Amino acid sequence: MSSRNKILATVKNNQPGPSDLPPDHNGPTVNGVDLTPQFINILEAIGGAAFLVSGYDRIATILREQFPDANRVVTSCHQLTAFAAGTSAAAALSAETPADPHSFENVDLAILPAHFGVAENGACWITESQMIQRVLPFITQNLALIIPRNAIVATMHQAYDRIATLEAEANASVTNAPATEGFATFIAGPSKTADIEQSLVLGAHGPRSLTVFLVDEHLSDAGFY
Amino acid sequence: MSSSTNHKDHAALATQFNKDEARVDWHDQTLWFVRAKRDKAAAQVPDWETLRDTASRIKDNVLSNLSEYLKQFEEAATRNGIIVHWAADAKEHNEIVLSILRNHKVDRMVKSKSMLTEECHLNEFLKDNGVEVVDTDLGERVVQLADEPPSHIVLPCIHWKKEEIGQLFHKHLGTPEGNADPQFLTYAARLHLREKFLTRRAALTGVNFAVAETGEFVVCTNEGNADMGAHLADVHIACMGIEKLVPQRRHLGVFLRLLTRSATGQPITTYSSHFKRPRPGQEMHIVLVDNGRSTHLGRKDFRNSLKCIRCAACFNTCPVYRRSGGHSYHTAVAGPIGSILSPNLDMKQYSDLPFASTLCGSCSNVCPVKIDIHEQLYKWRQVIVQEGNATAAKTAAMKTMSWVLSSPGVYHTAGKAGRWFMLNVPFTVKNKWNAWYLQRELPEPPKQSFGQWYKKNRKQ
Amino acid sequence: MRVGLFIPCYVDQFYPQVAIATLELLEKVGCTVAYPPDQTCCGQPMANSGFEHLTGECTKLFIKNFNEFDYIVSPSGSCVLHIKEHSHENAGLHDRIFELVEFLTDVLKIDHLDASFPHRVGLHQSCHGQRGLHLAQMSELMAPPFSKPAQLLNMVKKIQLIDLDRKDECCGFGGTFCVAEEAVSVKMGKDRVADHEKHGAEVITGSDMSCLMHLEGILRRQKSPVKVKHIAEILNSNIQHEQQH
Repeated sequence: MSSRNKILATVKNNQPGPSDLPPDHNGPTVNGVDLTPQFINILEAIGGAAFLVSGYDRIATILREQFPDANRVVTSCHQLTAFAAGTSAAAALSAETPADPHSFENVDLAILPAHFGVAENGACWITESQMIQRVLPFITQNLALIIPRNAIVATMHQAYDRIATLEAEANASVTNAPATEGFATFIAGPSKTADIEQSLVLGAHGPRSLTVFLVDEHLSDAGFY
Repeated sequence: MSSSTNHKDHAALATQFNKDEARVDWHDQTLWFVRAKRDKAAAQVPDWETLRDTASRIKDNVLSNLSEYLKQFEEAATRNGIIVHWAADAKEHNEIVLSILRNHKVDRMVKSKSMLTEECHLNEFLKDNGVEVVDTDLGERVVQLADEPPSHIVLPCIHWKKEEIGQLFHKHLGTPEGNADPQFLTYAARLHLREKFLTRRAALTGVNFAVAETGEFVVCTNEGNADMGAHLADVHIACMGIEKLVPQRRHLGVFLRLLTRSATGQPITTYSSHFKRPRPGQEMHIVLVDNGRSTHLGRKDFRNSLKCIRCAACFNTCPVYRRSGGHSYHTAVAGPIGSILSPNLDMKQYSDLPFASTLCGSCSNVCPVKIDIHEQLYKWRQVIVQEGNATAAKTAAMKTMSWVLSSPGVYHTAGKAGRWFMLNVPFTVKNKWNAWYLQRELPEPPKQSFGQWYKKNRKQ
Repeated sequence: MRVGLFIPCYVDQFYPQVAIATLELLEKVGCTVAYPPDQTCCGQPMANSGFEHLTGECTKLFIKNFNEFDYIVSPSGSCVLHIKEHSHENAGLHDRIFELVEFLTDVLKIDHLDASFPHRVGLHQSCHGQRGLHLAQMSELMAPPFSKPAQLLNMVKKIQLIDLDRKDECCGFGGTFCVAEEAVSVKMGKDRVADHEKHGAEVITGSDMSCLMHLEGILRRQKSPVKVKHIAEILNSNIQHEQQH
């Protein structure tokens, strides 16, 4: 008998009697509350930076100020292709060219869109189709994510509801591409470790900084966080 | 249940650990600080206790339908293009991993944190078979360079001081002697391990949660090392205990809210990566490992420990763990949860662990999935003794105690005699063979017991 | 109501004053108390060491001695918890058995005490009483705070209850653990003592004499002026007793 069948038989034989799933847990309701301040506060507390901006011009300006020495900048946002090309030798990559993930080794700054943020923990949900290459959000020295300001949910329960909605929408709209993404991740702040005597150090193996841009077109150009 | 002639038992190892009191204070305070951070984080979640209850019930449901969920997961994962393997025990797990590596002609691999692979002693096995493994979690790399096992499942080198890490890195990574700055040392490790990520074609990761409904699995790290390894490798091998399933994707919301707050007091790990399909051109494998879990599932009193999500909150709150250190448990997963899991693997070897506790109950209260840890510690003690693992001396002493306490006459005589000896021949108890007396005074024996006083003063 | 007084074996043998204080206190608040003379032990030391199967005779003796009473009260949280949870053939006694503090607050619903104890007192929250019998809220839980022992102590005139860094960390006694794992047990006790001393305690109290016996052993070895007193002794202390000091 294969190990598989042996294991399944023993498990089936030994598993306890029926125990129902509890009702869905949704957490406290937060209708009508502006989640931006909570998201920003927590993101900053975990070592990230946040900017509330009116559009991509502001993003480019801020990135130029924050990362003046960035040599190679990569982005999947067409609105920032010029910015990326202007600062680096390598041109922005097209989606059709599969790149060897190792070729991203020297990226200083990656600017990527994310789907939404989660207020309770400062995380952003980003899927493979937004990443160019799976390794990019990890291998880059600095990471910037862009989300619409109104795409912040309160808790992880709402996050998974949102993910289900996004998948259903993708399913409905694209006929040939797979309905679901092969890889996705929540990113909350820069990479970090406290393994050395509980001293928090930002910048372990992933990016050493994380900047999240919350885009709100209704803001005037003068107003920024 | 300890015999001081057994050098591997908790009591002996803990006594050794306590020889350096200042170090014990440092270890205790560091871990208490992590417990305090957990409290602070939990206090910010208004539905915290409901969340624990929900997680507990979801895991109860998983255990009661485990065979179905495993089949569902296998089917969905296979459809996603993940190659699913089943390993009955540690040996088979190790052989499966080796055979995958051999198929790809790989003799060097990077590995992110997986307590399961510690349990299976994978690193040693692979080394004996010509495969170099580099542990990429910073804490794990430290203990790997030092050639010792991790002492904590979340904070592997919590027992190391920064000066000692500095010396270790000086020896192995060439950092300047005497440099103990965590920032500097972390950066040195970043560069050192980056080279490994970029040059290794195989990466092995653990699995925090696997979703039966969708055939995906989630890996949580703060460092990003699991992702750096997996997304650069041609082969990604994920290793998982069969109990690590959750039924539906939306259940991840419950567990991801509880896991890191319980473990370190952070609201979430930096990365919670959801792996569903291999990268185009990559091979993705998952090894489902039994290694005693299916047997444990059949133990009515102990099966709940399979709900564990490996957060280590129980370690951080345990006053005994904090003052004895992970190595005193001489097992892959230490602390309170380890003390109720390990006897299932080898009752004789781990018979000391359920006794390494005062049954204070703090662990059960911090467990995010409400495992009744302290009750199981008590129940394991009964099983261990019934299976003949108590020493002859202890059994004799207990039988005597039972005899004395079952008979009022004998009890009163023994009490009087005991007090007489303590008063008149103190050396019978105040000596170095009386463990109580090593560091504590004995109570002063009164002239009469309460029973005697009552008889004289109250009884009509 | 007839109350049967159940005194832990080590209190009977080594700390009769605690039993006397418990008896006097219960009588003061209006109970008719009897002490069955043939009682011995609840069986906990054997059960916690894995020898629950040897406690049958002990339990039978307990039932024989206490079955006739309306209530069974004991100045020991761990003994009461053991009877309630681990002695199986307890003939329905588990509804009638109470630890002293919870008996005063929950059954008798005491709201004042004629007691006076002008000292700085640290309250040691014994684990079995707290986490087992819910005598006080547990620091691990996200739930509203409460403390039945503190509630009673606050009725005592002139008492000053101190704060602690770790409100409910275990003292390290743990039954046979205190000798089987002597090093860790003593270290835990020393740390508890240090917490109380840091906050200026003159007296350490609690509802379990086993914890206090262990802490006292450490205090006396350190030649510390800090004393231990079971909560029954403090609740039973009044102005007359103070004058006798």
